[in-house]
Amino acid sequence: MSKVTVRPDPFTLIAYDAGEIAALIEDAAALVDFPSDVDIDLDVDEELFAPLTGHLSDVVDGRVKLWISGGNLEDNKLPRTFAAHQARVDFVIMLLRAKDRLSDDFAAAPPDGSLSRGERAAWDVYAVGRALRLGLPMRRQKQLYDFRLQHGFTDVADAAFERLWESEHTTWNGIREICKETGAVDRDDSKIPVDLLRQK
Amino acid sequence: MKKMLPESELARDERFVRTKIEDRLFDPRGPKIAQRNTGPARMGVDRPAAGERSRSLMHGIFVGEIQALEGAGRTCYDFDEPDAPFALKLDMARQCWDESRHCEISVKLGDHMGTEIGEYTESTFLFAAACNPDPVLRLCGVNRALEGLAIDVFNSMKTFGNESGDPILEFCEDWMLADEVTHVKMGSDWLRRLTEKDPERRERALEFQRTVDAIFNLGGFRGEDDENPVQLARNFRRLAGFTEEENDSLAELARESTEQARQMAEAATATLNASSQGGS
Repeated sequence: MSKVTVRPDPFTLIAYDAGEIAALIEDAAALVDFPSDVDIDLDVDEELFAPLTGHLSDVVDGRVKLWISGGNLEDNKLPRTFAAHQARVDFVIMLLRAKDRLSDDFAAAPPDGSLSRGERAAWDVYAVGRALRLGLPMRRQKQLYDFRLQHGFTDVADAAFERLWESEHTTWNGIREICKETGAVDRDDSKIPVDLLRQK
Repeated sequence: MKKMLPESELARDERFVRTKIEDRLFDPRGPKIAQRNTGPARMGVDRPAAGERSRSLMHGIFVGEIQALEGAGRTCYDFDEPDAPFALKLDMARQCWDESRHCEISVKLGDHMGTEIGEYTESTFLFAAACNPDPVLRLCGVNRALEGLAIDVFNSMKTFGNESGDPILEFCEDWMLADEVTHVKMGSDWLRRLTEKDPERRERALEFQRTVDAIFNLGGFRGEDDENPVQLARNFRRLAGFTEEENDSLAELARESTEQARQMAEAATATLNASSQGGS
């Protein structure tokens, strides 16, 4: 089984439990059939709250490095309360993307902080669609809206979304092709870093 | 039926969860975030968590529409002649119809964005402004301050719809915006008519409006800079009958609120740092 490390431990601003979070990651890893010989480090930014949400999945020197906003783990209806069901969903998506990164199909993908917003949105759809088929409660319309924000509110973008959502296998090149097809690749670069929330 | 319904008695089904503004104000994470760069608060597809922030704001607009409906409805019922002439009640009844439509549109926009009713908490401090026992003060607080805020919010959402290429959002917000301009005009009209011979009461009403405006500028929510999620819509405010002087005054108030919020955050951070180092 992968060794899971969660930081901070203990949490000081909010009553999250590092042990509970680690256990949820182990469950998520089992669900996505994550390679058992790869260790997982998770950093939770406990200063961030909803709706300042986001997560990143990278692989550095053979270890999986995850980062997530504390807002992702917070119950929308009960501020400052840990929402295990919500955390489980996000951990599965993060690990699906991390697993992609460990495969040759995504070997050429840059780190999350260097992805374009279009690339990231497309990759997320691919991951969320698979999470749904693993039995997790995913909301298709929410994902479609986030995808449209980066790829356009067009029939071409919706058709691309549909393919990603249903896809059981794609590659980094497949993600880039989608971005060309929808025109996301031609969008002006923003001065706002994609991983701004991670930067303190 | 009871008159002057307090906000604690508003009817909601089990999907809605109410929150108090203090929950956020005393959250120890607030001062930390205030010191960090989390990107422009102004809506845009390239700001962090763009989709989630849009959904959260859309849900806030939706519950705001419910409370606006409840406020206008209460004004139809809470007052009698001669304090509230029949024509005023007719205007409020028409506004109820508009707000009901806005509720339905907001639910559909929430569907469009991928959220659902009750996904986020509801704060009822908007309705609290609609509880003033003087109909003139209530109209000023609701129809001029809050509906004025609605102009700013809808215009910001409409701009976001345009910039993100979302024709549904842009179109819906534009239609609702047109209604809000009418609501503000109704408030201005009734303020003038009901206080024609009572300048002191008019001044009290305008002072109440400024208080409500200040509350809704809280923490720099509204203003004219990138750090304000909701932008002051001067052109539409002008169409609604606000003078340039009133717009300037509101902009100044917004700047002061933003600055106050910044100072409060700095003070809270200093306090947190001192306590974590064992200071008093």
